[in-house]
Amino acid sequence: MTAPFDTLAGWLQEHALLPLLYALGLMQWEDISFGWALFAVYGAAQVVLTFAICMPLEHWRPVERWPDARAVTVDILYTFFSRVGLLPLVTFVLFYQAQVALNGFLADQGWVPPTLERLFPFLLGRPVLTFCLYVVILDFSDYWRHRLSHVFGWWYALHALHHAQRQMTFWSDDRNHLLDEIIAFAWFTAVALLIGIPPMQFPLLVLLLRLLESLSHANVRLSFGWIGERLLVSPRFHRAHHGTTASGRQSVNYGAILPWWDMLFRTADFSPTYVPTGDPTAEEALATGSYAAQQWAGLRRMLRIRGAPLNDVTLRTQVGTPEGGGRYNLKQV
Amino acid sequence: MARPWLVSVLCAALLAASYVPARAAGAVLVMNSNEATLSVIDLATHRELRRIPVLREPHHWALTPDGHDLLVADTGANELLLLDPSSFELRRRVPVADPYQLGFSPDGKVLVVNGLARGQVDVYEAGSYRLLKRFPLKSMPSHLAYTPDSSTVFVSLQGTDRLAAIDLRRMEVLWTAEVGKNPAGVLWLNGRVLVANMGSDDVAVVNPADGRVERRIHTGKGAHQLFLSPDGKLLYVNNRLDVNSVTVLDPASLNLLRTYRLPGGPDDIAFAPDGKLWFTLRFVNKVAVLDPASGQYDIIGVGRSPHGIFLNPRAAVPAAVASR
Ligand SMILES: [Zn+2]
Ligand SMILES: [Zn+2]
Repeated sequence: MTAPFDTLAGWLQEHALLPLLYALGLMQWEDISFGWALFAVYGAAQVVLTFAICMPLEHWRPVERWPDARAVTVDILYTFFSRVGLLPLVTFVLFYQAQVALNGFLADQGWVPPTLERLFPFLLGRPVLTFCLYVVILDFSDYWRHRLSHVFGWWYALHALHHAQRQMTFWSDDRNHLLDEIIAFAWFTAVALLIGIPPMQFPLLVLLLRLLESLSHANVRLSFGWIGERLLVSPRFHRAHHGTTASGRQSVNYGAILPWWDMLFRTADFSPTYVPTGDPTAEEALATGSYAAQQWAGLRRMLRIRGAPLNDVTLRTQVGTPEGGGRYNLKQV
Repeated sequence: MARPWLVSVLCAALLAASYVPARAAGAVLVMNSNEATLSVIDLATHRELRRIPVLREPHHWALTPDGHDLLVADTGANELLLLDPSSFELRRRVPVADPYQLGFSPDGKVLVVNGLARGQVDVYEAGSYRLLKRFPLKSMPSHLAYTPDSSTVFVSLQGTDRLAAIDLRRMEVLWTAEVGKNPAGVLWLNGRVLVANMGSDDVAVVNPADGRVERRIHTGKGAHQLFLSPDGKLLYVNNRLDVNSVTVLDPASLNLLRTYRLPGGPDDIAFAPDGKLWFTLRFVNKVAVLDPASGQYDIIGVGRSPHGIFLNPRAAVPAAVASR
């Protein structure tokens, strides 16, 4: 089933990436570039599949209709930037040396990152089960990263970029500040040092998970039903997280794939409503600016807020915004 | 076959009696680096018999000097798998940081493991796998070769265009020297160290005493790996980017003998007793079995990104599989 993707990635590596690396005098990366080719090909497949599934859904039962949907365009850019491999390339270039130094240092200390299989030997020979367990643990870790990004003012200043979108669609999943992405990358690296990296031989499973994350942002009236809502994150569930009244320090539904952590830590909101999205405290550039304008606005906001308690600053900026009004705490469970 | 039921009964009886296989027809083990599996291929029929799941990212292998264990290095899982080289059954797992390329010294005393992703070369005691010494070497230690007396190991440093020589008696770095762009494959040959320079199109002939490049042999763009045929009469060089992806040199003179066109990124080679060469084709997820006389080759589908390849002519092909 994966053969066409693998063939395409191999072709890309052999006929495009290697000649390019050779010409640039960068052949030491030839092994890594193949991993990148696979990432890019599967990422493109993710985008195509997500489009094929979410586009009809958004036409079928949209939550909102916008006469002018220009603000969506930049989200498409974010998606390609992130899924087709440019973002991983940036983090790789920025952090390769740091990772080598960290790996070398840990090896010197005698630390060999274990795998879940070594910690739980019953997983040996059960790669799919192992993969699922990694998904659960990484999703749990991501719940806390996301939740903390709403706790610290400077961090939320970056994350506000994700929340600022008032025209939320399936393209909005990858709409993140570059620094926020880098923190997420560091967060993942730290977890990987404790439990190792997940098995990577299931690109189709990864594809389905990414599809679910995109779907959860789609502009569609879609709930998974009483049980389904408690098993997987639905568009309705994640929309509540993006609600204008839930943005900022105290939101709900932080989970990306599994709603379990929200249920466990009492941040879940299962009310059957489809709220308008956006962050009333965010300046307009974060919502409708160009890619560069959004990144710059996020950085500026972080530098401004750093040190000051979040509620002070955000409540002050909220005054006079039409949808604002410090209603945030209502959604806190 | 006249009485197929009899064959079935016999096979079943054999299987029930013991795990001793019906024939030792030989098998080939392929490390599918991006799929976390090992493909077992029947040497005679070229059929893939099974895929053994491993943990993350198997790249290369080494056979213990006594031939007892086959070590497969699972880089991403930070472990060595010790397999039975005949049945490929797993015997033991040894946690080792980032094992990429590895090899035992000819005297069988040490195992050198290159950690490409952490810029370290580790020397382990053979048998106990106790770390004796760690050399931080920048950057990207990739391939290695020993002197026949086991006194020195040479490691290519892919990221910094250098070759390092490590004295294994005194456990110190003798020298590092620039040998060409992105050196990869390393081979000891006739008192010299040969290094395939992946960032260019040549093999450097290096003086082992000081790392001085004495000659450069043109092979093909992206020269990557070097293999000497078992009879010592032919030297094969795989070139990553060249249409003539396989170059054959005369080991004595290093003159060009011939080339082969083998698309798909030929990487490692295993030599079969019938004279055929088994190549892993990195980018097309296949193994090629080349007849060096005719230049014709047979293609076998394996897992994603096959890298290391181990051929055992005496490996057991399970009866049930062999008769299927
Ligand atoms: Zn959020
Ligand atoms: Zn979101």
